[in-house]
Amino acid sequence: MPEEFHITEFPNGLTLVAQQMDSVTSTAVTLRLSAGARFDPTGAEGSAAVLTDWCMRGAGHRNTHQLNDALDALGCQHYESVQSAHITFATAQLGRNLPAVLEILATIVRQPTLGDDTFAPCRELVRQDLDALEDEPASKADLLLRENFYPDPLGRCVYGRGESLAALTAEALRAHAQRLMSPQGTILAVAGDLDWGQLTDLAADHFGDWSTTQIPESTLREPTGGVTHVPKKSAQTHIALAHPTVPIAHRQYYAARIAATVLSGGMSSRLFTEVREKRGLVYHVSSRYDSLRNLAGMFTYAGTMPPKAQETFEVTVGELRRIAEGISAEEMARAQTQLKSTLVMQGESTTARSGALASDWYHLRRLRSLGELSRAIDTITVEEVLGHLHDCPAEKFTVLVIGPDPVDTAGVMT
Amino acid sequence: MEFKQTQLDNGLTIIAEVNESAQSMAAGFFVRTGSRDETAHVGGVSHFLEHMMFKGTDRRNAFDVNREFDELGAHYNAFTSEENTVYYGAVLPDFQTRMLDLLGDMLRPALRREDFDLEKNVILDEIARYRDTPSYRVYEKLMTQHFQDHPLANSVLGTPESIRGLNRDEMQAYFDRRYSPGNVTVVGVGKLHWDAFVKKTEGMCSHWKPFEVSREINPWSGLGTRRTIVDDKVAREHVGIMSPAPCGQDDARFAAQVLATIFGDATGSRLFYALVEPAIADEAHTSYNPLDGTGTFLTFVSTDPDRAARAVEIAHAELRKFMEEGFVHTELQAAKNKIASAATLQGELPMGRLVAVGFDWIYRREYIPLARQIDMLFAVSADEVVNIAQQYDLTATTVLGLGPVKQL
Repeated sequence: MPEEFHITEFPNGLTLVAQQMDSVTSTAVTLRLSAGARFDPTGAEGSAAVLTDWCMRGAGHRNTHQLNDALDALGCQHYESVQSAHITFATAQLGRNLPAVLEILATIVRQPTLGDDTFAPCRELVRQDLDALEDEPASKADLLLRENFYPDPLGRCVYGRGESLAALTAEALRAHAQRLMSPQGTILAVAGDLDWGQLTDLAADHFGDWSTTQIPESTLREPTGGVTHVPKKSAQTHIALAHPTVPIAHRQYYAARIAATVLSGGMSSRLFTEVREKRGLVYHVSSRYDSLRNLAGMFTYAGTMPPKAQETFEVTVGELRRIAEGISAEEMARAQTQLKSTLVMQGESTTARSGALASDWYHLRRLRSLGELSRAIDTITVEEVLGHLHDCPAEKFTVLVIGPDPVDTAGVMT
Repeated sequence: MEFKQTQLDNGLTIIAEVNESAQSMAAGFFVRTGSRDETAHVGGVSHFLEHMMFKGTDRRNAFDVNREFDELGAHYNAFTSEENTVYYGAVLPDFQTRMLDLLGDMLRPALRREDFDLEKNVILDEIARYRDTPSYRVYEKLMTQHFQDHPLANSVLGTPESIRGLNRDEMQAYFDRRYSPGNVTVVGVGKLHWDAFVKKTEGMCSHWKPFEVSREINPWSGLGTRRTIVDDKVAREHVGIMSPAPCGQDDARFAAQVLATIFGDATGSRLFYALVEPAIADEAHTSYNPLDGTGTFLTFVSTDPDRAARAVEIAHAELRKFMEEGFVHTELQAAKNKIASAATLQGELPMGRLVAVGFDWIYRREYIPLARQIDMLFAVSADEVVNIAQQYDLTATTVLGLGPVKQL
C-alpha cells in the first residue's frame, strides 16, 4: 500500500498535512486550533467549550440555519470538540465536496459571528453537559481523574465549572476568541480522495492571508494527585486510576504502547483475563495510553458492584505491576500483531487517518507511514518493554473513585 | 464488488460481498434470535448465552478463544439485541480461515457449569453498569412500556432476579431451540477468498443438525401511554418518545429513514432548532428502527428537570406540525445527503458493511450494493415521506420520563 504524504507550512503558522488514499470516495478533514481548554482564562474555565458551540452559530454571511443548511447540502458530517490543547473541527464528505467544505470551515474559524443573541444558549448547553456528567459516572470519573493527574491547566475538565460558566460573558469570550483563534499552531489535516495541487491552492486561498497572533503560554501548577472519593449512591463503584508514562515523542513510546496492549489490548490481555475472566469481578476493565505533548499517563478504569470494589482495586493494581516481572514470547507476539492490525484497519478509514495525521504533526512535527510504524512495532524486544516498565513503574497513582464507599488504598499507595 | 451466496445442506446460508480493493476482511455469524424469542422465566438468556460463546468448546477453553482472536490481531466482539445475536471479527485477509475456525467452533459451546456460574457475576455487573446509565435505562423501560404484551417488550439484559434464577440447563435448552443452522447466516465482507470461505464454513458447520425454529411475528402500534419513573438519584430528565413505524421488510423504510433525519437528526433538524439551538435540551434526536414485522420511531431528549414538560410539549407540537404541514424540498435534499454520506463512510470499512449486508439478507433475503442503496435513497419522493407521516400517526406516542420529574 503506497502512502503519499504532503506537507505545506504556511508563513502565518498554519500547517497543511495530507494523505491521498486510493479506493475511497470520501475525504475527511481535521482542523485543529491551539485554543483548547488549557488556554481558558482562570475563572473562565469552559471558555473553549462555549466558544466551539458559538462558532457554529453563524459565520461569514451565514446565520446558524444557513450554516447548517450549507453543510447538510454537501452531505458533510461534522463534529466539533474540545481537548486540552485544541479546539477541533472534524468533517467527512465526498471528495468532490471538499472545496466547498473548506470554504465553510474557513469562515467558521476566521469569521465566526459570535453574536450576543446566540451566546446564552451556547453557554447554557455547556452547563447542561456539565450536569449530564452526573448521569455518566464512568465518564465523570475519567474527567476528574485527568484534572487530578495532569498539572493544571493541562488536565482541566473542558466543561468548566458551574461558577466559571456563570461568570462568562459574551464580551470576554469574544476577546478570548480574538487572541486564541489564530493560524499559529493550527493544523489542517486532510485524508482520502483528494488532489494535492488543488488542495494546496484551496488552503492558500482560504487560510493563507489569515493573520497570526501569539498563543500565550500557561504556567503549570503541580498536579493534585492522591486519592479522591466522590460519594454517590450508584449501582457500581467506578474506580479510575492513572500513573505516569512516556509521551508520543519519547524513544520508549512503542514500548509503552506494547505494554498497554499486553495489559489491555484484547480479551486475552492481562487485565481482562485476571480481573474479569478468572474472577468475575467486573464487566468492564481497561487501560489506555493517553498522551499530551510532554506528559502522558496510563489510565485504567474498572467498574464493579460495591462489595467487590476492594478486591477489584487490588487485583487491578497487582496486574499493572506484575507485567514488569515478565512478558512471555507469545504475549509479545500477540501484542505486536494486535497493534499492527489496528493500524492497518484504521488506515482504511479517512476519518481515522486525518485524525492520525493531525496528531502526528502536533506531537512529532512529521508524519509516520504505516511502514515506519510496522517496523517500529516489529523490531521492539521484550527486554525493551521491560526496561520501559522499569523506568515507568506502576507507582505514584492518582486514584479517583465514584461510588457509595471509598476503597482502601493504604496497602497499595506506598 | 461482487456478491456471492450459497446454502449448506443443513440450511445454513453463506453470503459475501467481496471487495478486492479492501485491506481487511470481516466475518460474522448472524443468529436470528434475541430477547423477543425468550420466555419470561429465562429473561436475558440470549445475551448471557452470547457471553458464554466466548467461554469455549470441546476443543477450546475460554482462554484459548480469547488468545486465538488476539493472535490474529482480530477486532472482534458480539452483540445481542431484541431480535439478533451477532458474533463477528475483522482481520487481515491472511487470517480468514483461522478466524472462521474460531467463530464456527465457538457457536457450538461447551457451556461448562463453572464458567456459567462465574460469568453470571459479569452479567450482573453489566446490568449494574447500565443502571448507572439513565440514557440506556430509559430506552429499555420505554420498549417495555411501548410493546406491553408483545415479545419486543422483553429486556435484552434481563433483570438481576432473572439472571440469578437462570441455570445452565435452561440455557442449553434455549440454545437447542434457537441455534439451528437454518437460523444462522454467515456473512463475509471485504478482501476475502470466497471458495476458501465456503469450504471452511462448511467444514465447521455442516455437521450441525437442523431443526425447526419459529418466531412469533405480530404487528404492534403501542397504546399511547405516558408515564414517569421517578429517580431522585438521576440528575437530568431522560425522556424517550416512541411511535410506530414501517417494519424492516417494508419498502417504505428508506422514506422512514429520511423522515427521521428531517425531523430529528442531531444537527440541523426540526428538533435541533426547536430544542437544542435554544438550549431547552442538551440532546434531542430521532431514529428510525426497523424491526421484524414492526418498527419504531424513537426520539430521545435530555433536559433539565424543570424544563422537561415543556420540552415534551415542544417535541409533540413539532411532530404535529410535521404531519400537518410537511416540509420543504431543501430539507428533503439535506436529509438524503446526510444519509448517503454516512452510508458511504461506513461502507468504506469492511466492519461497516458487515452489519448492513447481513441485515439486508436476514430481514429481506436480498443483497443491495451500496451504490444501489444510495440510488434508492435518492429516489424517495416527498409524497412517500408525507405518506409515512400520515399512515403512521407520529403523535401516537408512548412517552417515558426517567429522572426527578414526577409528572410529564
